[in-house]
Amino acid sequence: MITIKVDMDKCQHYGQCVYEAPNIFKLNENDKLEYLASADESERENVKSASDICPMQAIQVFD
Amino acid sequence: MGGLRTAESLRRYKYSGHIQILGDEWHMPYNRPPLSKSLLAQDQELAQVSFPIKSDELNTEFTLGDGVRQLSMEQQSVTLQSGKKIEFDFLVAATGLRSKKLVFPNNLQSERFALRTFDDAKAIRQAVGSGKDVVILGSGFIGLEVAATLRGLGCRVKIVAMEDIPLGLILGEPFGEEIRRRHETKGIEFYLNNRVTDLVGNTAITHVKLVDGQSLACDIFIEAIGSAANVEWLEGNELDLSDGLLTDSSLHAVKSNGTSVSNLFGVGDIARFPNMRFELPPRRIEHWNIPLESSRRAAREIVRQVVPGSIEGFESEDGFNPLPTFWSDQFEFSILSFGEPRLADEIRLLEGNLGEEFIFAYLREGSLVGVAGIGMKGKINKMRKDIIK
Repeated sequence: MITIKVDMDKCQHYGQCVYEAPNIFKLNENDKLEYLASADESERENVKSASDICPMQAIQVFD
Repeated sequence: MGGLRTAESLRRYKYSGHIQILGDEWHMPYNRPPLSKSLLAQDQELAQVSFPIKSDELNTEFTLGDGVRQLSMEQQSVTLQSGKKIEFDFLVAATGLRSKKLVFPNNLQSERFALRTFDDAKAIRQAVGSGKDVVILGSGFIGLEVAATLRGLGCRVKIVAMEDIPLGLILGEPFGEEIRRRHETKGIEFYLNNRVTDLVGNTAITHVKLVDGQSLACDIFIEAIGSAANVEWLEGNELDLSDGLLTDSSLHAVKSNGTSVSNLFGVGDIARFPNMRFELPPRRIEHWNIPLESSRRAAREIVRQVVPGSIEGFESEDGFNPLPTFWSDQFEFSILSFGEPRLADEIRLLEGNLGEEFIFAYLREGSLVGVAGIGMKGKINKMRKDIIK
């Protein structure tokens, strides 16, 4: 399992992460980010890509 | 950023050789978008914008504060400012951009800034304060973002620009007019279709003179008139450096005679690459996602050349055809765009109202080449898949 943390003070809800890891991140109907705080190991590369692509560098991945 | 992301990608693709990152700044790699926004607004420290680095995984040597002076392809080496010489098997050029600055008859430098680096942002932050007269030259993204942030700090902000409409050439006239209206509502003054002809003052700037004869009070002068690629160190190697470093569709540097160089790559803002998605002549793209995507691509090329067949599915990879992405936060509104709106021959308001939230679709010969709007991020994101491939 991996743990995912988004700094919601930094997050600007651009949704770039949604494209990289659609199973983990989504923008809700109010354009606010929602995400799963933990995920299967198989999502690691996608979440890492989402973390890289985040313009605000708000996403962290933990083991 | 391009250097760091290349090193990370090389390790991710199991590259086991020695990696060195050479940089002219003293700081470890950091994220630039906050420089015009939160870092300028809140006087944050470098740690708040530094990219997190897992040193053990990265296993990379950093040489900072010592930029590259000269490349020699013949000797397969680079010489640093200090005179130190470093040999390489592969070289990734990711030296990015520097701010352009004008030369005026009265070419005062005091209280005069551009914004590109962390040190630039700190210097502006220290100079500004409530009630200061700030003149910003340029109405592009950086000019507008800095204007909004400094207005938020209580400065009196004036924007002087050659364009008729801020961002009009990029996002279209109605969109640009709406951006101007929103800035004016917040108290920003625009002097458009105009330019600064000289600075006035003895040691410190007191005014700037405009070409139309006006004189604007000015305590702080900020030039946001675009960037130039840092490619001088590549000269003398028969490379095509006419605007940045020309590369082929897999980011190998291209010589003036048209042949590709197998072990030299261009990454990030300096890479002028062909993007077949839009079937355009090669050009540089100064968007934040390009260093990331191009560094991954260059890393894959290197690993493929070192250990053929080691990356699954990579032998048949297409050219590097990224989807340009940009965003901008100004006051309480944010702009989000995918694709190349500037290529459009037709612009349609797709949803919403200009005064609130909206999305424009940008079409060329009937095909969607870009989408951009204010707010409505979820919907804009969903449309990125509809842009031509």
